[in-house]
Amino acid sequence: MRATRPNDDEEVDVQRVYVHGTAVSSSWADGSASLTDLIFRCVRRALDDARMPVGDLEAVVLAAHDLVDGRSLTNMITAPAAAAFLKDETRLGDDGAAAFVLGDARIRSGSVRTCLVAAWGRASEGPADDIARALFDPFTTRPLGMTEIGVSGLRASRALIEHPEYAEHRAAAATRRGEVEGAAGRIPAAAWPLRDTELPIWGDVVSAVVLSSEPGPVEVLGAGMSTEPFELGDRDLTGLPALRSAGEQALREARRSIDEVDVLEIDALTMFDEALALEAVGATGSGRGMEALALDPRLDPAGARSVGYCAPAMGLTRIARAVQRVREGDGALALASGSSVVAAQTQAAVVLGRAEGHDTTHGRSCR
Amino acid sequence: MSSTPVPPDGDAAADGSTTDPVAEPVTIQGHWDFGYTYFAGASASRFFNELRLNQRIMGTHCPTCDRVLVPARGFCDACYVEIDEWREVGTEGTLDSFTILTTSFPGLPEPPTVVGYVTLDGASTALLNAVHGIDLHDFDEAGALLLTQPRVRVVFSDKCEGRITDFAFELVAADA
Amino acid sequence: MPRTGHGLAVAGVGQTPYRRRHEGSTPELVGQAVREALADAGLTARDVDIVVGGFAPDGLAGENCPDKRFLPAACAIGRWSMRINTGGTTGIAAAYAAMDLLEAGRGDVAVVVGVERMAQANSVPAVFNSIFDPIYERDTGLSTISMGALRATRMMARWGYAREVWAQVAERNFDNASRNPLAQIRTPYGAEDVLRSRMIAWPVTQLDACPVSEGVCAVVIVRSERFEGSGRPLAHVRGRASVSDTYNMGDRVHRPIGNLEDMITLSRSAERAYAQAGISDARQAQVVEIHAPFTHAETMAYGPLRLCDAPDGPDLVRSGFGRWGTETVINPSGGPQAANPVGATALIRLAECAQQVMGSAGERQVPGARVAVATGQGGANQFSTCTVLSA
Ligand SMILES: [Zn+2]
Repeated sequence: MRATRPNDDEEVDVQRVYVHGTAVSSSWADGSASLTDLIFRCVRRALDDARMPVGDLEAVVLAAHDLVDGRSLTNMITAPAAAAFLKDETRLGDDGAAAFVLGDARIRSGSVRTCLVAAWGRASEGPADDIARALFDPFTTRPLGMTEIGVSGLRASRALIEHPEYAEHRAAAATRRGEVEGAAGRIPAAAWPLRDTELPIWGDVVSAVVLSSEPGPVEVLGAGMSTEPFELGDRDLTGLPALRSAGEQALREARRSIDEVDVLEIDALTMFDEALALEAVGATGSGRGMEALALDPRLDPAGARSVGYCAPAMGLTRIARAVQRVREGDGALALASGSSVVAAQTQAAVVLGRAEGHDTTHGRSCR
Repeated sequence: MSSTPVPPDGDAAADGSTTDPVAEPVTIQGHWDFGYTYFAGASASRFFNELRLNQRIMGTHCPTCDRVLVPARGFCDACYVEIDEWREVGTEGTLDSFTILTTSFPGLPEPPTVVGYVTLDGASTALLNAVHGIDLHDFDEAGALLLTQPRVRVVFSDKCEGRITDFAFELVAADA
Repeated sequence: MPRTGHGLAVAGVGQTPYRRRHEGSTPELVGQAVREALADAGLTARDVDIVVGGFAPDGLAGENCPDKRFLPAACAIGRWSMRINTGGTTGIAAAYAAMDLLEAGRGDVAVVVGVERMAQANSVPAVFNSIFDPIYERDTGLSTISMGALRATRMMARWGYAREVWAQVAERNFDNASRNPLAQIRTPYGAEDVLRSRMIAWPVTQLDACPVSEGVCAVVIVRSERFEGSGRPLAHVRGRASVSDTYNMGDRVHRPIGNLEDMITLSRSAERAYAQAGISDARQAQVVEIHAPFTHAETMAYGPLRLCDAPDGPDLVRSGFGRWGTETVINPSGGPQAANPVGATALIRLAECAQQVMGSAGERQVPGARVAVATGQGGANQFSTCTVLSA
């Protein structure tokens, strides 16, 4: 099936893209599985969820980081575990949501009919803080020992200045995120004003999504991306303009407004980042992001946090969770996003909609 | 990981300051050293434990393509199925491919050494490891001998610790 | 599935020279190459919709995700951008990602930039050892050079290749490089020099292998219907395909559908790209740029590209096929032996083919070049791409 979609000043005629299956796996230091075992098991589940034989798969788009994986050209070893054997495969050293957007493009253009997108990060194998420090410019910010959490700290202190309301709701928002069993030793060093309950819990995370041009339970209705400057001093750290733009593009393409969205899965490293991100996509008003985290029924903060966190898997994890929530009846229209290092320099957003008249109940293999 | 700014070689004043702020390129010494703990997973763990405890080389059989994959692994990437049928393979086999490492690089084994892919009897796939006991005083001569794809056998170290380096290959004929 | 209907073309190329080491910062070098590529296409930064960066591997540069620092210099701010890393094929995989996004209607103009800063590493082979499987293979001291040599010895045993044959391949590549001002090695080494150069991993000598190189290649890719009638030359993308294989080289030794030296990933890529482009073999091209970091690897590609049957490869080399002045010139740029900046090298093959069919290759212009074939090769000889361009 084809559709016309708005694209700047013109309408483009494109192939429609559907999500047929998803899987998200979350574990910590599971000695029974190598990295490739973890990837294989999750991707295998996503294919089973989609009821798609591996032979029907035409293309594979992956997101993985060499340094996170401790393998200096990781997809050389890991791609075959993600069903890439004798397939058309590529790998982004970027967030999984960007990989999803590329996988979507491959079908949308008509060049393939099916595509698997997978992303992973295994925080238990490597030194997450050291890796985060290596992201920064060796001439300027690296000597300061800056990390991703450190940038979130900069963001959080700025947010508390701009939005005094945040202080009022942060305890309730943290409570809603919930306790996660086995989190001890998996929480990065905090940076003031951030508290442990507001931080991510490092995890061994694999996500996989099966896309097809055949009608399926959830349709990809729109996508957007944008990029910010590298230098932190050049950025609007609280306004998140790349996310704002990516979200607007995705909704415009879907011909929907943010008010129609009833499932939100917005990727962010810490609770403050997420509160600001909710404001950037227009899900709530200025200064009300933290309150939304505490109360908004379109969000599932406990579910998101319990998966654990490891770049570059999180954008695709948010998309997979959004698909699962739509299939499970949480809503009919979802906005999901993924952000890259360094400190969310690039953002990708997608709008996902329940496909009318399609059975959404088969294979709910969410974890 | 740390990085310390240093002036480039040459043209620096005694106090370390450079003399030309426009043309003087600055370099920084950095280190790139990250520690990892790799999980071998259940199948490679069993493979290594069999080496260490029983001096046996194990593969896993894929019932779909009927191959015995050595070293053992938990899934067949060609058929994309989980596999868990264990097979012991022989300790002799054929040297299918080799190279003689002749140049020294930091962090890598001191040359000259030979590494090669060997298909052990009963295995469907070849396994990479060092080949010991080859006369390497003339590389072209040694190469000509190894190009005949000779039979080799597994030799275990005196002290196996559960690593791939617990064993190496040597020519069967070397003993004759 | 035919892609010709999508109408993509390379509209501009910009490259830094390729050198052992560049002193400029990565964003400076990227900015320089991208400005040159946009000017070559007759476009400005305002026209760009999509930016795709290629860099590989991070360990060679000692920077984690260096794309974040250099993509803004390629006009990425406020635009779609992403970074591709597929080892040796990184540059061409980045171009393919840009093509996928353009074909999907995500924009009309994409900038693709392939970047390498490997001289920042104190020891390149040590980093290349860390690409191998840490569980079963890394301890054996494998490097990319020994990995290549393990296939070369099989080609000797199976097809009768000899060091002398590969030395002739090197001689031709160095001769071509002497006409390319961008090339890092412009000394016209002869076959004897290659045979006498330092043995690294038998049978591969230093001059059989590629050098350590830095540099940036930028390519502007457009939806060609927007540029028809502009009067500017375009290099139309007539066919392209990419195939990945298992990592395990040992699994390919006895594989009936294609063993270690058969390169079925390249055979299948070429078969698909040729079918899209309507050609039957690479002899129909006037230029073939083979992405091979070693002489033996170049000859391994002859069969899959249908330049000859694989067992006839040694004779094809001895016949002088592919030399400058013949009907099909192999590697007019000098190929990866003259410069091999990993994150850029497969994109350089595309850029060279584009310049040749656009008639802008300068001193190394192959007269009458109309059709060109570029390959990409990476991983454990497991990722292949084949692209067909024409005027
Ligand atoms: Zn199998």
